[in-house]
Amino acid sequence: MAKALLNLVDVQVRRGMNTVLDGCSLSVGGAQIVALTGANGAGKSTLLETAAGLLPMEQGHVKHGEVVVADAEGRRRTSPFTTGMVLQRNGMLGSEMVSEHLQMAMSMSGHSVDIAPFLKAFNLMHRANDLVAHLSQGQARKVAVLAGLLPAFASPTPALVMLDEPDAGLDDASIETLVGWMGELCTMGHALLIATHDERLMVHATQLFDVGQNERQVNTPPAGKKAEPRPSRPVKPLSPASFGVRMHLRTMMWLNTNAMAGLLTLGLFLTMGDFMEELDSLQQMGFILAPTLAVGLCGDPLVAALREERAGVWWRAVGGGEPHAGWMPLAIGAAFTLLSTTGLGNAREAHVILTGAVLCFVVWHCVGWMQRSTQRLARPHAVFVGLLTPVLILPYSILISVLS
Amino acid sequence: MRLGETVLFVGFTGIGATLLLALLWAPSVSINAFESPAAQRIFYWHVPAAWAAFIAFGALFVGSAGWLFKRSEWMWRLHVAGSEAGLATGLMAVWSGCVWGAAEWGTPWDWTDVRLNSFGLLTLLAIYVVLGRNSQPDGVETRDTFAAFGLYGFVLVPLTYIATRIWTIRHPGPVVATGDGSSINSDMGLVLLIGAVSFTVFIIGHMMASMRLTALEQRLERMQHNLDGGN
Repeated sequence: MAKALLNLVDVQVRRGMNTVLDGCSLSVGGAQIVALTGANGAGKSTLLETAAGLLPMEQGHVKHGEVVVADAEGRRRTSPFTTGMVLQRNGMLGSEMVSEHLQMAMSMSGHSVDIAPFLKAFNLMHRANDLVAHLSQGQARKVAVLAGLLPAFASPTPALVMLDEPDAGLDDASIETLVGWMGELCTMGHALLIATHDERLMVHATQLFDVGQNERQVNTPPAGKKAEPRPSRPVKPLSPASFGVRMHLRTMMWLNTNAMAGLLTLGLFLTMGDFMEELDSLQQMGFILAPTLAVGLCGDPLVAALREERAGVWWRAVGGGEPHAGWMPLAIGAAFTLLSTTGLGNAREAHVILTGAVLCFVVWHCVGWMQRSTQRLARPHAVFVGLLTPVLILPYSILISVLS
Repeated sequence: MRLGETVLFVGFTGIGATLLLALLWAPSVSINAFESPAAQRIFYWHVPAAWAAFIAFGALFVGSAGWLFKRSEWMWRLHVAGSEAGLATGLMAVWSGCVWGAAEWGTPWDWTDVRLNSFGLLTLLAIYVVLGRNSQPDGVETRDTFAAFGLYGFVLVPLTYIATRIWTIRHPGPVVATGDGSSINSDMGLVLLIGAVSFTVFIIGHMMASMRLTALEQRLERMQHNLDGGN
């Protein structure tokens, strides 16, 4: 057997109050296609997401090559391999363009191939520059499937491709195309792990793994022709922060939440007339930095946006982390502190502007972390993260007392 | 009546007695030392409530750690009981403190006082944990997330303790167990002791009842799950 790219060792995973996987061990080597089979609820998606290091385990560990990427102690490490991932949901934001999403997925491998033949094969060429939100469900699924396969096509080294029901919503012709690409990737030495109910995909697997029974069965797929690697060129991987900033700038979601909170706070102060002269320096500093604090206290609106089609989970699987606003809060904080000092009639001092920028950055990302900490829950929107934000008032109080 | 409810009832009676003693029997404080001497009687409720809240937050911490590291159902029930008891007594301490602060200092809250704020944050954390947990279906994801917050919250306890001793801005420092002899009158100390014991009994009863209730909820869920066919 080829060297194992993926090893699950004695894994136990619980979802809700049920133990879904118990003592599950599975190995997938290069040039292998392992199809996960079993009834609905048997744990195929759970196994796949555990293999990607997305789910916590009660026992056991997951290795990618020789690297333990996740274990029951909660330790996490980045996979040494290029990873392609298709979740049950599409893992894309509606504000991404089709070609942009595919290029970005490929960039995770550090290489890129020409996407035109793939788009043509899926009859998506005319949609290359459309937003994902403008696609039909079937078209969006095709893009998600391509985003899972293309990193492996671009990767010059063996890649690990995990596909969760990639056939869902695809027409017969597209499934035939998908089966051809699976065979091609297999002959190129990549490892594929697929959860499916579709016989057309199962017959091309080299092994079938019944998740409910924890049983492996060797399969003999039809012989495929040897595929040549497609010409690829090196590209710089897109970081979660770069993607987050790009989405913030494109959708202006920060304007709707953070900036509005800051503007409303400042507007409220301005309606109170010339009151600043009657205040001592500590109170003045408090009022100047309050709109900036309000901006930060709204957190990162990208966290809620990334719940769309589990885009955040897809990013964790392939990009090593969830996208975030990166440096943007620094700029927004500086702008708001400048606006605040001007609006409230105070002198524009560089150290105050800089402090406002840092305050906004720290508060924004702290609240963002609080928001992300609930993403694993069944109903993250039902948790009152705002109740935790007063923890940031105290450092704010200390900061303004130091500044004044 | 079950043991938990009996202990709860005894504690509640003791709290009532403390209130009566505080209002009718405890000596008045010096009119020169306090802006609002009458409001000082809240102290007999406020301090034991804060003491009981620390016990509850301790239980929350132990329960959270026990769930995260041992996966113990009993520890999870302790987490639930600790958070609910911490919420109840934390709100009592915060509310009574605000009333006293408004009368004595002229303001119910001071954002620059570390001790006030760290205790307020503990109470907010208890609200967050109780409301958040009730909004979610029971499961390892829910338990892991809120147990992690339970551990995080306990970091605030030593911070608050240290703050009472070295970081006092507006809130007074400790009046008992200061190491340099008690600074309060013996009758006052007696009422305070009765309050502390009553609140401790109350919190123990509250947690016992709460743990039994959680166990019953878990049993009910298992029975429903079995009726669903185990799917």
